Amino acid sequence: MKIVVCVKQVPATTAEKRYTSELRLDRAATEAVINPLDEYAIEQALRLKEGGVVDEVVYLSMGPDSASEALRRSLAMGGDGGVLVTDPALAGADEWVTARVLAAALDKLAPEVSLMGMASDDARGSLVPGAVAAIRGVPLLAYGSELRLTDGAAQIRRLNPTGFDLLEAPLPVVASVTDQVGEPRYASLKGIMAARRMELTTWALADLGLDPADLAPLTRVVAADPPPAKPPAQVISGVAPDEAASRVADWLAERKLIA
Amino acid sequence: MADVAFLAEFVDGHPTRSALELAAGAAELAAAAGGGAVGLAYGPGAADGAAGLGAAGAARVVVLGSEAAPAVTIAGPLVEAVRDAGLVAVLAPATPDGRDLSGVLVGSLGLPGFGPVRAVRMEGGAVRCEMSTLQGAMITASQPAPSAPATSVVLVSSGTYAPSEGGSGTAVVSQAPAADSPQAKVRIVETAAEAAAIAALEEAEIIVAGGRGVGSEAGFEALNQLAAVLGGVVGASRAAADAGWVPYQLQIGQTGKVVKPALYLAVGISGAIQHRVGMQAAEHIVAINRDPDAPIGEFADLFVVGDLFEIVPRLTAEIERRKGA
Ligand SMILES: Cc1cc2nc3c(=O)[nH]c(=O)nc-3n(C[C@H](O)[C@H](O)[C@H](O)COP(=O)(O)OP(=O)(O)OC[C@H]3O[C@@H](n4cnc5c(N)ncnc54)[C@H](O)[C@@H]3O)c2cc1C
Repeated sequence: MKIVVCVKQVPATTAEKRYTSELRLDRAATEAVINPLDEYAIEQALRLKEGGVVDEVVYLSMGPDSASEALRRSLAMGGDGGVLVTDPALAGADEWVTARVLAAALDKLAPEVSLMGMASDDARGSLVPGAVAAIRGVPLLAYGSELRLTDGAAQIRRLNPTGFDLLEAPLPVVASVTDQVGEPRYASLKGIMAARRMELTTWALADLGLDPADLAPLTRVVAADPPPAKPPAQVISGVAPDEAASRVADWLAERKLIA
Repeated sequence: MADVAFLAEFVDGHPTRSALELAAGAAELAAAAGGGAVGLAYGPGAADGAAGLGAAGAARVVVLGSEAAPAVTIAGPLVEAVRDAGLVAVLAPATPDGRDLSGVLVGSLGLPGFGPVRAVRMEGGAVRCEMSTLQGAMITASQPAPSAPATSVVLVSSGTYAPSEGGSGTAVVSQAPAADSPQAKVRIVETAAEAAAIAALEEAEIIVAGGRGVGSEAGFEALNQLAAVLGGVVGASRAAADAGWVPYQLQIGQTGKVVKPALYLAVGISGAIQHRVGMQAAEHIVAINRDPDAPIGEFADLFVVGDLFEIVPRLTAEIERRKGA
């Protein structure tokens, strides 16, 4: 059984983010990392491999050449191979374009489970897993706090308003997991060294039978501005707890937040 | 025709709060586009309750499915109801179910997808969506590309619209024809209830949220009492949920709920960026933290530096006293 984990390179959480004059993220100006939520998907896949349920874990990324770094970092955690889809025509890809390209690459890799993180740190739309499932014509099992594989079927444990549901669908599936699957492992030195030596596969759009003319983004950013500055907080400090409580109550009453 | 559709989930024959919010949003956008609001109803009892969406602003309702089943299983009829329907937009809640269905729509029909948005308006016959991106570092506006299909799929954050009661009455209800989809194969094989009743954070006007600083499950009792006198509910950071002091359903943030209350009280929460993205839209933010340098001080409106174990019970007592007076 094979799992392909989709990994995306995103700006580091703490990095300063800038937009270029074309209203695209200025990637040159920001430190790039594996999307933190994808690391949980990697962790889930590696646990299934260690459990003997999965034979092969392959990583798939779409992005510029530099995204190969995300594949190496993923391989340093464990896993068997990496595929980078890169093509100049992909600059400015939106969810639809991304989903088309990932779906075509996944068709070619033909895993039983195509696994993703629940969202990407930068856009947070979570539209790609569902779009990929639809394009590939396979069931979607999203937002799992755990992925289980049984004979011919996949299951995810998914929170509901008061507990959880166990959802099941026949293989192959597209699945996504949350940060509840368990903390991602650190790469070992041995893993880092081995990843450096591994051969990565690189595909251009033509290798996937895709025509750049069919892959125009359907959305475009028309404005990007920093949020309005917030006035500094009013601070209550260095007073006795009774006094602090009374001043908070005054503050709430002034704003009609207590009846 | 320039109708705007919205996903309307039903529970026990009644539309959820998010369905009512989206009905109001769809009605507002449809008015600007010169069309009507169309409800796409699903969930237990949707067929019985569908006409009632008229009061919330819908002109028509299409029932996609009326059974208790994973939301994604209505994908087949949903895609057929949206295909060639001349819709300007389909509004979906920015919840896991709403995202699943929106993703399937985007992929099945090749539609532009947006979200989660904090404001939408019509501009030049298409939606213009305002989003907080890059974890709040930027406010961006996006539109469909000129060559894109006319229907946009828009994930709408809860609290973006207030439900309206001024609708014109009953909506015209029709049943979507059955349509097959790979998503129909998803089924629930087990359901477990872990907590008796968990308040809907997305609907709460007042949230008292606790973090690692609260220290224990017992520590949350003081927060429950404060929430009770305020008429609010309790929420939590991931650290508190990870520690098992509260169920994950109470987690607020990037991988938890996104909330928009009138008042957010952050107690013993440092204000990490992943927490911040779930609550920064609150109207008023009050933080209680013993560390004067905690990052939450940078975006709170009122920052109380002190020990939560000393302040919270006194604040509860003080509010109680004022209410009694
Ligand atoms: C991929 C990913 C996703 C994440 N998603 C989320 C998410 O959705 N939601 C979320 O919340 N976090 C999320 N996190 C975790 C986040 O980064 C922080 O670790 C977490 O929010 C910290 O929780 P906290 O503020 O309760 O704890 P801490 O950061 O430990 O802060 C505790 C605070 O309590 C204060 N304190 C301690 N004792 C007292 C006292 N007696 N009186 C007053 N103050 C006291 C301390 O000064 C401190 O500021 C995510 C992380 C990752 C990597």
